Amino acid sequence: MASIGDCSIYLPVWKLSRDEISKETGMPSLGGERAVAHWDEDSLTMAVEAARNFEGDFDAVIFASTSPPFRIKQCASFVASALDLGSNVFTMDITDSMRAATDALITANEFVDAGKFSRVLVVAADCIPTKPGTLYEQLYGDAAAAVVVEKEGGAKILGYNTSTRPLPGSWMLAKDDTVRDYDMRVDARFGYATSVQQAAMPLFAKLGLSPADIDRIVASAPDPRSYEGLLKAVGARPEEFYFSSIGIAGTAHPLILLVSQLEKTGRILLGGYGEGADVIAIEIEEAMESNIGRMLESRKEISYGDYLYNRGFVGIRDAPDRPSLTKFWRDEKSIIRFYGMKCRNCGTVSYPISRCCIECGAKDNYEEIKLGEKGRIYTFTIDYLVMPGNYTGDGVHPHCVAVVDMDGGGRVLFEITDTLRNFDGIECDADVERTFRLLFEKNNFRYYGWKARLPR
Amino acid sequence: MQEVAVIGCGVTKFGHHWEKDHEDLLVEATYEAINDANVELKDVEAVWCGTFYPSTGISGNVFSDTIKFFGKPITRVENYCATGMDNIRNAAFAVASGAYDLVIAAGVEKLMDAGSRGLPPIEGIFSVAMPVVSAPGMFAMAANRAFKEWGWTREDLALVAVKNHYNGARHPKAHFRKEVTVEKVLKAPMVAYPLGVFDCSAVSDGAAAVVLTRPEIAREIVGDDYAVIKGVGMAVETMHPWHRPSESFLSFPATVKAAKMAYKMAGIEDPRKELDFGIVHDCFTITELINYQDMQLCKPGEGAEMIRNGVTAIDGDFPINPDGGLKSFGHPIGASGVRMVAELTKQVLGKAEGLQVKDAEAGFAHNLGGPYSVATVAIVSRP
Repeated sequence: MASIGDCSIYLPVWKLSRDEISKETGMPSLGGERAVAHWDEDSLTMAVEAARNFEGDFDAVIFASTSPPFRIKQCASFVASALDLGSNVFTMDITDSMRAATDALITANEFVDAGKFSRVLVVAADCIPTKPGTLYEQLYGDAAAAVVVEKEGGAKILGYNTSTRPLPGSWMLAKDDTVRDYDMRVDARFGYATSVQQAAMPLFAKLGLSPADIDRIVASAPDPRSYEGLLKAVGARPEEFYFSSIGIAGTAHPLILLVSQLEKTGRILLGGYGEGADVIAIEIEEAMESNIGRMLESRKEISYGDYLYNRGFVGIRDAPDRPSLTKFWRDEKSIIRFYGMKCRNCGTVSYPISRCCIECGAKDNYEEIKLGEKGRIYTFTIDYLVMPGNYTGDGVHPHCVAVVDMDGGGRVLFEITDTLRNFDGIECDADVERTFRLLFEKNNFRYYGWKARLPR
Repeated sequence: MQEVAVIGCGVTKFGHHWEKDHEDLLVEATYEAINDANVELKDVEAVWCGTFYPSTGISGNVFSDTIKFFGKPITRVENYCATGMDNIRNAAFAVASGAYDLVIAAGVEKLMDAGSRGLPPIEGIFSVAMPVVSAPGMFAMAANRAFKEWGWTREDLALVAVKNHYNGARHPKAHFRKEVTVEKVLKAPMVAYPLGVFDCSAVSDGAAAVVLTRPEIAREIVGDDYAVIKGVGMAVETMHPWHRPSESFLSFPATVKAAKMAYKMAGIEDPRKELDFGIVHDCFTITELINYQDMQLCKPGEGAEMIRNGVTAIDGDFPINPDGGLKSFGHPIGASGVRMVAELTKQVLGKAEGLQVKDAEAGFAHNLGGPYSVATVAIVSRP
């Protein structure tokens, strides 16, 4: 068995109050708030944001999501590229089931246990599209979580087991734009608790443990009440489920719950639910620090109208240009891996990589260097003729762009993101940090790269 | 340099010419110029025609098929917003070299046909992943840094708009012929912070043409009713100032270098003393203030002082944009630089009715294009 050595989550900055949803749609409020991805975020960008907190190299990346932005095209390879991993890294996506993240954790465990890979990144992210005015709109939240699976780490995976139970549940057909269901009560009554218990009982037997040997149980669920009901049924105290602050983050949810548990020692049971359940027993010997508290604190409220804009239900995103995909591919080292160049003649660090130095013109005399994570705004503007993402300006959502001097050198023109119409804090000499985002969707393709935001 | 004579000028009214094609504008400007020069089209040996957007046209055919001027050399010039004056530079040097005796430098732009608020975007000129910045956005970045470094304010910028619209209100061919107040400028909708609508030059249609020859030929055709181009400087800097660490955003190096070149060609050491006025590229109000500095009219950081103290007003010590500038004319790109040289010519010949700068004997005109990457400066005086 392998261990978990590090953990991290990512939450989009925007939080939408369920009372606000209720006010605008008439649906009864479920209370609290849900995390809402910015318009330039999806499960791929959030996965990168969660995973880039880790130091060191990986030899495998497993991306888990039920909402990958591409039907054909692997996301894990994008994640590997954004993390500047080598070309020999093994990458795979596990998709389509809310159980995908725990499946990924199990897979990583097997890889490491078998000695196939030494350090595996498991990253789960979801940004499940929901129709306005449906229950799912309040139920779900957008988030990502990542863990590092390696031979030695603070939390040992003791064992796992799975049960499989196809139920109607919730689904999206290949052509669907939003999630749908038949009758969620079927899942709640016949699916959830049964699946988790069917997976857990043989695991207890295998490990020679009884439920009393378990300190804490966390398991993703189709709704928060199902989780509470399960814990009540087994006579345990429910742990923080993050429904009132995040929402159910699809397949990222079990990993978020895991990350929150890794902050204190003890023996835990982690459940991932979807068409049955994965149950994983983990012995946390060394408590880990996670960024979950900081992520929850760093929040901005979003109105329902702005949420609809972020989701593309409101407003027009239009632009006549068709940025070349071959150029995008050719410049991957600058655009995705974020390398600049250091001139060997004059020492200038500049961005992007180009044949001749922008200051002294020296030809082909540079080394490629990875640029820093943070920088300072040299100057900026808030441009009403352009909409974020290089779309034609709508006069309402200005494009905030800034010239940023990166720590360690290099000057880069960035789109400033996580802003809608309020630009407080954007000024000359303000500190910013870069963040991986969707740049724009054009040519029926999604172009990714780096933007900047105020530090979180 | 060998001086080049401007013997004829033609400028259309600038504005929203919804009912006219670029053909109408170019015909009007070209025929006005050759009539003013008292020459016939058949005697013109070569043409340079500036146009920026393909929606107006590309290649020498823009001129040939409009005027039906066939079988002679025509070059289309494109160099961002400096297209018009770079066009004149090429035509002037051809005449100065003796290769041709009589040429036309024309410029035309039909922006209203492009269907865009602000300048129409151009595909693929910047790197693929770079955020797009509009033209006002590019210059707004200079303004925000100038505010930070020098304490300039939106009120300082507004004074530029007030001055230029005061002049433009008196120019019959200007797009906008209304004076504005500081209050009106400050209250206008924001375009690219800190630049509001009145801090920006408009998107307009227009055409302009000048007829060039050498002074000895000019004297035979028009007597002493001509002006001379004494120097034309031009410099190209990076189109990615935001990626060049040494870029201050407080000065546009292309202007500085083009000005030095032009001053040197014309034998000018102190432009503030040796010249009488200037026409600068006021695409945005901030640009005009930085231009004062880059054109060596004052020291860095003193640009706002010049506008506050009225130095650059039409009756000031060194009038700038007595014609009303791009602020009043709008900026049909290929046409602007040509129009500026036509305005200089009128001023030094004492023909700028209602807008005449007192004792104007010599002045400069300046174009700045792209992300401050291309600049041209021309010096024009009485013979």
